[in-house]
Amino acid sequence: MMDARKFMHNEPVSRDSDSTPRPKMLLGFIAAAAAAVLTACGGGASTTQTTGPSVPPVTGYTGPPPATPDVQSFMLNVWNNIKADNRCGGACHGTGQTPMFARIDDVNLAYADANTVANLPSPIDSRMVQKVGGGHNCWLTAPQACADILTTWIELWAGDAIAGGGRAIQLVPPPIIDPGDSRTFPADPSAFGATIHPLLTQFCAGCHATDSPVLQAPFFADSDVAAAYDAARSKIDLDDAANSRFVVRLRDEFHNCWTTCPPDATTMETAIATFAGQIPLTQLDPTLIASKALTLYDGTIAAGGNRYEANQIALWEFKTGGGSTAFDTSGVAPAMNLNFSGPVTWFGGWGINLSGGKAQSSTASSSKMHDLIMATGEYSIEAWVAPANVVQEEARIISYSAGPTDRNFTLRQTLYNYEMANRSSVSNADGAPLHTTAAADEDLQATLQHVVVTFDAVNGRQIYVNGLFTDDVDQAGAAVLSGWDDTYAFVLGSEVSNEFPFMGVIRLVAVHNRALTPAQIVQNFDVGVGEKYFMLFSVEHLINVPQSYVMFEAAQFDTYGYLFMDPTFISLDATANPNNIPIENIRFGMNGAEATSGQTYANMTEAVTSAQYTINGQQLSGLGAVIALSKGPAADEFFLTFETIGTNANPRTEPPPVAPPPPPNGAPVSDIGVKTFDEINLTMANITTVSSQDAGVKSVFDTVKQSLPAVETIEAFLSAHEMAIAQLSIAYCDALVDDNGLRGNYFPAFNSNFGLPPSQAFDTTAERDAVLDPLIANMLGTNVGTSPSVVTYKAEMNALINRLIACGGACAPDRTEIVVKSVCAATAGSGVMLVQ
Amino acid sequence: MNNRTERSDKRNLAGYLALGCCLFLGGLAAVEAGPREQAYRIHERLAGEPPSAAVLNSMEADVVGGNALNAALTAIDNPDSSGFYNVTLKNWATPWTNRDGDVFAPLNDYTATVIGMVRDGVPFNTIFSADLVYIGQGFSPGYSMTDNNHYAQMEDQGVDLKAVLTGTAQSAITSLPPAGTAGVWTTRAGAEAFFIAGTNRAQFRYTMLNHICHDLEEIKDITRTPDKVRQDVSRSPGGDSRIFLNNCIGCHSGQDPMAQAFAFYNFDENTGSIVYTPGVVQAKYFNNDDVFPAGFVTPDDSWANYWREGQNALLGWDAGLAGSGVGAASMGQEMANSDAFAECQVQKAFKAVCLRDPVDTADRSEIARITGVLRGNNYDMKRAFAETAVFCMGD
Repeated sequence: MMDARKFMHNEPVSRDSDSTPRPKMLLGFIAAAAAAVLTACGGGASTTQTTGPSVPPVTGYTGPPPATPDVQSFMLNVWNNIKADNRCGGACHGTGQTPMFARIDDVNLAYADANTVANLPSPIDSRMVQKVGGGHNCWLTAPQACADILTTWIELWAGDAIAGGGRAIQLVPPPIIDPGDSRTFPADPSAFGATIHPLLTQFCAGCHATDSPVLQAPFFADSDVAAAYDAARSKIDLDDAANSRFVVRLRDEFHNCWTTCPPDATTMETAIATFAGQIPLTQLDPTLIASKALTLYDGTIAAGGNRYEANQIALWEFKTGGGSTAFDTSGVAPAMNLNFSGPVTWFGGWGINLSGGKAQSSTASSSKMHDLIMATGEYSIEAWVAPANVVQEEARIISYSAGPTDRNFTLRQTLYNYEMANRSSVSNADGAPLHTTAAADEDLQATLQHVVVTFDAVNGRQIYVNGLFTDDVDQAGAAVLSGWDDTYAFVLGSEVSNEFPFMGVIRLVAVHNRALTPAQIVQNFDVGVGEKYFMLFSVEHLINVPQSYVMFEAAQFDTYGYLFMDPTFISLDATANPNNIPIENIRFGMNGAEATSGQTYANMTEAVTSAQYTINGQQLSGLGAVIALSKGPAADEFFLTFETIGTNANPRTEPPPVAPPPPPNGAPVSDIGVKTFDEINLTMANITTVSSQDAGVKSVFDTVKQSLPAVETIEAFLSAHEMAIAQLSIAYCDALVDDNGLRGNYFPAFNSNFGLPPSQAFDTTAERDAVLDPLIANMLGTNVGTSPSVVTYKAEMNALINRLIACGGACAPDRTEIVVKSVCAATAGSGVMLVQ
Repeated sequence: MNNRTERSDKRNLAGYLALGCCLFLGGLAAVEAGPREQAYRIHERLAGEPPSAAVLNSMEADVVGGNALNAALTAIDNPDSSGFYNVTLKNWATPWTNRDGDVFAPLNDYTATVIGMVRDGVPFNTIFSADLVYIGQGFSPGYSMTDNNHYAQMEDQGVDLKAVLTGTAQSAITSLPPAGTAGVWTTRAGAEAFFIAGTNRAQFRYTMLNHICHDLEEIKDITRTPDKVRQDVSRSPGGDSRIFLNNCIGCHSGQDPMAQAFAFYNFDENTGSIVYTPGVVQAKYFNNDDVFPAGFVTPDDSWANYWREGQNALLGWDAGLAGSGVGAASMGQEMANSDAFAECQVQKAFKAVCLRDPVDTADRSEIARITGVLRGNNYDMKRAFAETAVFCMGD
């Protein structure tokens, strides 16, 4: 990512340097009207080369040879790619129309004309790039793709020119706009459902609905109004209905109008205006201390950096944002453009969101990968991916294969692991054995990650995540590529057979036909992904410093949010010397109101001082903030508010929250419960006088402990609990009756009956009471009204005794002890013990 | 008796038991409670077992005399029963000492310290800040920083905890300096459960769950400043920043600045003991720092309570405290002096004694009253248990 603290004075641009890095984008600032030109080196490797391995030789040219090395570079990298009749050559810029930079009679003359429309220090700003990007005879369906490819070619040509220090970027003061007076989308979709949604479901649901036979995202015509609303927001301009994408598509692009386009567009515009009219304007609170406002696109582009692309043979940056093709903008022919099928949607801020679909190139164009990789015997796959989850298995992220069992290579996800299959001299046709990251390391996370897989004959496969080698050694050992098949297809998001889908976002994919070095990987990781801007929030009206701004590096973070980083106070007036300016508690405002969530700088306390301020400004914080997207990057208007800036102060004190009302009374619940495991054990020890440490008892308790009730709730009492209680009560009564001393103390009047046959031991009421009365005293409590009736108890126990002593004259010698144990256990294990 | 016969007899007995349970449960439900029955219930609810006849008579007299609270205190400190400490309190506290809320977990120093604090009337609002741990005086094996044998053996042998537990300074028997002690948080069991691996956020989350009676999900507030949310929290989980802005931020914006107080703690699984590195932030605070590099990088163990404003101000933070500080103990004071903490202790006691959650206005009013009593009596939990038992002694 860009680090504004690395700015340095720029050196004059030289095209004669020996070193030939290939910077892609800006590398610095120019403070407007300032004497100094600032340059930043984003990642800055210095060992790159001008041309990739795939520049085709120039054939069939019969004109004068290139006069200089630079003409030679132009010829190889640009002229050879654009001279064809179906691009810029032929009757257009080849023979008939100036500038004739694609003329084929003399490449030196073409070179001279090309210099009038090429900006070598800043290829993206070249006139020819802007023309193509604006729709001027793009040879692809997406002008942006042509612009990117042409930029790449010019960058290749310009390699030397930018090597000295990179393109200097001028910080452009944004327009001074007061914040506020705009509308924001309401959370409730009902107004949308009553105005726009009916039109969409009636006329657009044939494609743009999830139940359509011809699935075409976005699904703003879905029958689910909330889902449709979510998808439709970015197509609606609340402040200018006529500028809504829904209207533009009908009015200007004649996209599937249902009658004739002008009245259909008017109908749609009216519906949007009606919807917007129900949303009140959001006025800025006058008590706020606010900066001036701007949109993301009012910022100065800061995207890109110094990517290492010397051996890059394919590149997808997913910039198009529309249609169903992702263009290979590597500039290396043939272009491996990826066609979407199934659920594939564009991701805000460059990328695609895969949710079961795939993006696949043709087998013919995919053969480029086979040819160029087999030529070197090594390769790297580089991607910025955000897996949607960490539960998917064998999910194909990037694959060059023919089906579930035949492949040249595949990068896939299983849980927290990246896995790499590679067809080689030591693998089978499926690329197995897999090389995988260690499960314990959980290298794969469900967030945006830079992952690079390299293969070379010495090291085999190596995986790097966010610039770091994962330390996983390829167990397959050294190998050479072998058995690769050039009829396979390159695919993102699933197997070519639509199996093993990957759920997640892919924001960039590059393939190199060399194993990137660790330094090169770090270089590309540092560059980041997506388009970044420097947003300048004017605060000149708040402090006495000319052309003063609080500057953020900003980007669309994903489809639903913006990322702001590195707030820096800066003045574009080089003579300014700000000092003693407190800046405290910054909040982001958007579309007339402060954002609800994500206010990272709301606790910040800083002061700009002359000691810390430099011509590059003074950084206020190293933290980043994510703010929710509302209308989209072209329309969301941002501003900052401050609790303190300079002499302005607006300290906030949040009002106390309103206490919620007490909950309503619940249904009555049981006033009683059951004893839990320890309580049961304790109680049984108490009522039997047997120690819980008795070996037999302890053994049983340890066994059944977790089968006893763990909670008191009586409704949770189960038959399993009852069986465990039975076992424990038997253990206690066993111990009681088997111990002569204990039973003598417990049943003193019955003690002499132990050893008698039951027919004699229980043949009188007094003998039976000698057993039952001690149990009543110890277990039922004395005169406790909530205990069972003694009469009822005795009747039940006498019946039990009667059943147990009826052994037909063949009673075992210890039958009397067993009967006492039974009566004891029936009492100790009963509800009188259990319920509390 | 041979084994087969014994098993057969036991099966028969089980059948009789089932009959007995049904019989006596039916009889129990129909009886009105008088003072004796109220006294009986108070004892069973507090001590987990029935009282002796003598104790019951004494308690009944107290109830008849309008001093049911005294009856409850008798049940708690009944010299014939270890139930309140060995069973009721142990099982009250044990689920807080492990992530599964397992009531069957062995006795440990966290649980023993809770039991000891209640027994001795140690102000319970020092539970996260005191330089205190309870051990079994003279019991062998003795206290160890590296294992739980001391406590597990005490439990296994059925030792009367009321008699043997003795309070001592953590800093006297562990390697922790006094400034590194923070009540049950820095007991061995507290560390083993919540400082092990991870990011130390668990210690805070389980404190919220077990001692504030609100899990994080219930109190998430997405409007707080996320400047202390660490680098390991994705701001775009699965490529969707809405998840962060509407969910993750709600907890992390409050949790991370509080859990920073634990920055110097770890639990070493190899040695089985707590690790405290004053001045050096544990490496776990920098786990996955490449997930969001522009996130917060923990420099020290200072902490701040961002929930003093916003909806979570309703947790009732102590206005007499600063709301920020350095180290775990001062953060423990912040937690344990909140209204929510005091109310939570009473709610838990209510559940343990009344065997149910509060369900109506009368219950909630009583909890509010007992909470006031708790705070008015220097956070004496024994009193709170007794008050609760009286409320639930039956009509």
